[in-house]
Amino acid sequence: MNFDPNDPRLTAYILNELTDAERDEVEALLAANPEAATFVAELRATTGLLATSLAAEPELTLDPARRAGIAAAAETQPAGRIVEFPWWRTLAGFGAAAAALMLAVVGLHLQRVKESRSSANEQQIVAGIVDEQPTDAARGVATTQAGIKDDRLVASPPEATFDAADLEMMAEPPMEEQSLDNAFTMSAPAPAAAPASPALASTRAVGFAAKGIVGSQFAERRRQERDNVSTIISPSQDDFDVIRENGFLRVGDHPLSTFSIDVDTASYAVVRKMLNDGFRPPRDAVRIEELINYFTYDDPAPVDGRPFATRLEAAPCPWNPRHHLVRIGIKGKVIDRAERPPLNLVYLLDVSGSMNDPNKLPLVKRSLQALVNQLDARDRVAIVVYAGAAGRVLPPTPGDQGTAILEALERLEAGGSTAGGAGIELAYRTAREQFQSNAVNRVILCTDGDFNVGTVQRGDLEAMIEREAKSGVFLTVLGFGMGNYKDSTLELLSNKGNGNYAYIDDFNEARKVLVDQMLGTMVTIAKDVKIQVEFNPAVVAAYRLIGYENRILKKEDFNNDKVDAGEIGAGHSVTALYELIPVGQPLPDVPAVDALKYQMPSSPAAPDTEALTVKMRYKEPDGDTSTKLEFPLSAEALGQTVSSDDFRFAAAVAGFGMLLRDSEHRGSFTYADALRLAESALGPDRLGYRAEFLKLVRNAEAITGRE
Amino acid sequence: MEHREWIETLVGRHEKPLCRYAYSLTRSVSAAQDAVQETFLRLCKADRAKVEGHEAAWLFRVCRSRVFDMQRKEKPMNPLTPAREAVLAAPGHNPAEAADRHDTETLVPRLMDGLPERQREAIRLKFQQNLSYRDIARVLDTSEGNVGFLIHTGIKSLRDQMKTLSGAVS
Repeated sequence: MNFDPNDPRLTAYILNELTDAERDEVEALLAANPEAATFVAELRATTGLLATSLAAEPELTLDPARRAGIAAAAETQPAGRIVEFPWWRTLAGFGAAAAALMLAVVGLHLQRVKESRSSANEQQIVAGIVDEQPTDAARGVATTQAGIKDDRLVASPPEATFDAADLEMMAEPPMEEQSLDNAFTMSAPAPAAAPASPALASTRAVGFAAKGIVGSQFAERRRQERDNVSTIISPSQDDFDVIRENGFLRVGDHPLSTFSIDVDTASYAVVRKMLNDGFRPPRDAVRIEELINYFTYDDPAPVDGRPFATRLEAAPCPWNPRHHLVRIGIKGKVIDRAERPPLNLVYLLDVSGSMNDPNKLPLVKRSLQALVNQLDARDRVAIVVYAGAAGRVLPPTPGDQGTAILEALERLEAGGSTAGGAGIELAYRTAREQFQSNAVNRVILCTDGDFNVGTVQRGDLEAMIEREAKSGVFLTVLGFGMGNYKDSTLELLSNKGNGNYAYIDDFNEARKVLVDQMLGTMVTIAKDVKIQVEFNPAVVAAYRLIGYENRILKKEDFNNDKVDAGEIGAGHSVTALYELIPVGQPLPDVPAVDALKYQMPSSPAAPDTEALTVKMRYKEPDGDTSTKLEFPLSAEALGQTVSSDDFRFAAAVAGFGMLLRDSEHRGSFTYADALRLAESALGPDRLGYRAEFLKLVRNAEAITGRE
Repeated sequence: MEHREWIETLVGRHEKPLCRYAYSLTRSVSAAQDAVQETFLRLCKADRAKVEGHEAAWLFRVCRSRVFDMQRKEKPMNPLTPAREAVLAAPGHNPAEAADRHDTETLVPRLMDGLPERQREAIRLKFQQNLSYRDIARVLDTSEGNVGFLIHTGIKSLRDQMKTLSGAVS
């Protein structure tokens, strides 16, 4: 076989579509001809990129109404061919269940009309279902003869798997493109249905079973989906937990509000990707606190030696001027780059075959190069790789020898299968060789989530990571490649290793995590950070925590040091917003708890000079006991009308999230309001994240305007 | 397995892939959903024995013909269908904006848009739906050899373009 770049067998080889003999031929060519080998490697990289890119496309599902239409039709078993069914028999064949389903659909529809959220389009859907059967059946009859005639003209191979009846179903009149190759060359049926990729199939199967679509549960699923009926897009393979938005709580009944901080930002990346792709994200993908915390805020840094500073601000609430919005801003201690502790880093890189995509290993290289540029002579960098076998490609090297480090990175190539266990062991051994007690000692694992621990037992691996974390070597996990959000192994490993888990989908994200926020990612300054707010009933009638739905703690957890909470890295910002209803303003429909019969009423004469007190607890990175801080907010501060850029920007992001989530609390707030508010609050925006947000709001406005 | 169960299993397994596929052809959410609903309604009435063994190929082929059928019906009325307009007007598809985004996230879809339609379709069925060459041939009503040619030519042209781009960058 000679090397011809136009030979389709080269791609078929990559896709495993060759016979054994053909494969041997291609392999012989690749062994003998380096040019061919390079070419095929490039093709392979392209196919990997394509698969990743296509897998990352947002997914679309049927809406409940259309799905119910199918469920109704599925009740009727065809006795033979469609032509044998006059439409009235099809209709009469509907069981009671189908009729009930249809009524339910109409009922659902009516309800939505009541909510004034129904569009003309949806009315058509319902109408379409009601008379779907007769018209569809009639059309089927009409197209049948034409279809058979056509196909007899174009093709009649004896071994065709789809016979005339199938073609009648398909009813595909000839098209221009078909002149290219019109032969209907179907061979014997494949022994089994074409399998989707096994991993994909099993994921789907699990999700399918969990959601209970089977059997008569169609109706149940439709009920579940009624609330987010407008949400028909969900991204590939990512399931989002249902978020029930925090409602208003009366201060008299719930004087305390307790939650854990959260520095995750993944939701913003997901929302951004979907909006940029032209889709409205599903509401449960929108976690408002993660949107807000994606941005850096310029709150003053702590000056008193504390690991973080807290700033309280209040102003009228943008979406309801009779309410107040209170912002709790937490700023982690900023460590000057020159004063940062030395870094003893071991990059542990997955170079197995699956890392071959351009947004994996090449992105890992670029990301780590960006990190190397931040290092100096105090730092040590080593590189350990694992694939079939683990190996050290760079011994610990001073951080100012950038060229040596970069060259070692440059030489890496993907290939072979993954055996991560041996790699992790070697990485920790390397980190311990250079261990410095005053340094940040970290193993940075870069993988696509196809993490196979090899011969090492999973339990042993976790124990090792935990042990190493206790002795001071932390683990950071960087996930590369799209669609692996659910990798519980990686998240678990990073949790065991006192580490963090970041998801890098492009170079901008890599720069954010590894350059701009390098110290936040590398240097943890406080752990188990909890917030408890006590409201003064003399000033505040009701309150609502915006976001953090998954982070709510019980009030007694606040003082319990055994209960874990979030960590803060150097320079990290965390913001929480409360919407307050001051005393004297009408309360929304919040049911009150009956007055207690046997208990002393709480002091009715609380001083009205303070509106609330924010209490915080945290532990030092290596400590086990927490420290408590308290910050009161004066009642006077609630009257403020001037707000900081950070306040307005966070409010704009929160409002934007509420619009995307269709929050009942959004009032008359619009995307235009969010835009105006954010534009007034861009601040220095050194890295352009806030400007990017403006673009996102415009996208959302255009997309939802189209709906 | 009962008829209804069988349909529901296939809906469960293929609903999302079909919707995504139909959307790639129509660029309109409601048109894609229409086509997929029609496909499953036809499945409800199909002779099961004729479908079993190659369900995916059958569904994708029916879905594809539904899409083209619907588009043909619309065409005389609107030369530029609403679906296409929506794409052109979508913020993510502004060419000027697209031009200054170089990350791999948008690069591949942009390059794919430049491929001939048949290549694009075959590539999508292969890399998004993971169908075999044989099943793709069934869906596109062509030979396996032609599918191999379409996919190879498409991949090679993407590879060439990316090479040129990275050459221009470095």
